[in-house]
Amino acid sequence: MISPQPLIRMQNVGKHFGTFQALKGINLDVIKGERIVVCGPSGSGKSTMIRCINRLEKHDEGRILIGDTELTDQIKDLNAVRREIGMVFQSFNLFPHMTILNNLMLAQKLVRKTPKAKARDIAMRYLERVKIPEQADKYPVQLSGGQQQRVAIARALCMKPEVMLFDEPTSALDPEMINEVLEVMVDLAREGMTMICVTHEMGFARSVADRVIFMDAGEIVEEADPETFFKTPQHERTKLFLSQILSH
Amino acid sequence: MELLSGWWDDFFWGSVVVAQVFLASLVLMVIFGLIGAAAKLSGNRIVQKIANGYTVVFRGTPEILVILLLYFGSAITLTWISRLFNPDIKFVDVPPFWAGTVAIALIVGSYATETFRGAFLGVRPGSIEAAKALGMSGLQVFFYIRIPEMWRLALPPFGNHMLSLIKDTALISIIGLNETLFVAKQAIGTTGKPFTMYIVVGLIYLGFSTVITLTVMALERYGNHTVRAR
Repeated sequence: MISPQPLIRMQNVGKHFGTFQALKGINLDVIKGERIVVCGPSGSGKSTMIRCINRLEKHDEGRILIGDTELTDQIKDLNAVRREIGMVFQSFNLFPHMTILNNLMLAQKLVRKTPKAKARDIAMRYLERVKIPEQADKYPVQLSGGQQQRVAIARALCMKPEVMLFDEPTSALDPEMINEVLEVMVDLAREGMTMICVTHEMGFARSVADRVIFMDAGEIVEEADPETFFKTPQHERTKLFLSQILSH
Repeated sequence: MELLSGWWDDFFWGSVVVAQVFLASLVLMVIFGLIGAAAKLSGNRIVQKIANGYTVVFRGTPEILVILLLYFGSAITLTWISRLFNPDIKFVDVPPFWAGTVAIALIVGSYATETFRGAFLGVRPGSIEAAKALGMSGLQVFFYIRIPEMWRLALPPFGNHMLSLIKDTALISIIGLNETLFVAKQAIGTTGKPFTMYIVVGLIYLGFSTVITLTVMALERYGNHTVRAR
């Protein structure tokens, strides 16, 4: 059987911050429609790894390919790659000086060159999907954290990306708001969106992930389907980590 | 009031000169401040050193001295250059308006350098990253995300810089610019009423600074309406 061409291919990727090695020898292929959850202790390189995928961080060893395009310093149009990769951040990062609607329309108009009326339609459609169309004319500061994060997800979806990256999307939220964000993410996963999620929400990992990846000290220590990962982890570091986050 | 009769129009035209110097130096101050901030933020060591030298010199010397040095310095330099071409020239006069305007713009621009640099660094990196991740180009990120945020952060200190500018215009009377203080000195010479004349100048400046303060307050209200609304 020929496996399909991966959407994202990381080959032996390494990354240093000064003398600190944040990533080493990362190998990861992501095919279309795959849902991957990345977990691991803080400082293990999870965020750095997904930030290398849209080049918010530059890797300094190995290769990263997005489709057929390799991410290098010589890349002609990095923004053409980035607009196909949606990203959701831990701290929402909405544009504070714009209304919710304008947050959703800006990149559509500037990057996709979508006409204003159509951009507005698309924005409203995604706001409805994340269930807050009534907030369209408010400013980010007027919304709760959970609402802001749903807006951030909608903003990324408006660009019709091939892949969505989630960088600890629920870590900055009050507990009662985590579920409203996870529900949106579960819906997205059910619709077949390719997703890479850095998260410690193990319930989410169990219910939607095709693969769970455990990282520690900049390396991928273990990867498996959720069933195997949670029931029979192979490595001591994985067992220790799971016992710590699942014990309470 | 009759004391002032005959001097009203002189004070009026003096005020016009103050307004002209203020507006011209405001434009130059913003330009100097932006260049200074860009230089300090640039990765180039030498450019950073030059910008540091600029702020150290202009923030660390008396303003009146800068005006005098710039006025006489530029006159002497221009005279020397002109003599290379025509040895008969005795002295080239530099217009006090421009010498004074450039001088106070350089002084306040050195403070604005720090303001703009701080505002640039004060923009939350998260918004910038989000814009990049959406595929926006460097210029788009700068104009649509960074500038609107910088503007809000820079406005309060910028209001202070404008007040400094308007007050510094009074110093230019020393090199013979016929602004309000210059007019007052002439009026004192004929009427012998220094207190009255200086009070008039004070009131004129209070008028100017009140307009500036109110304008900045209105702009701040506008700039903050998105982040204060709850």
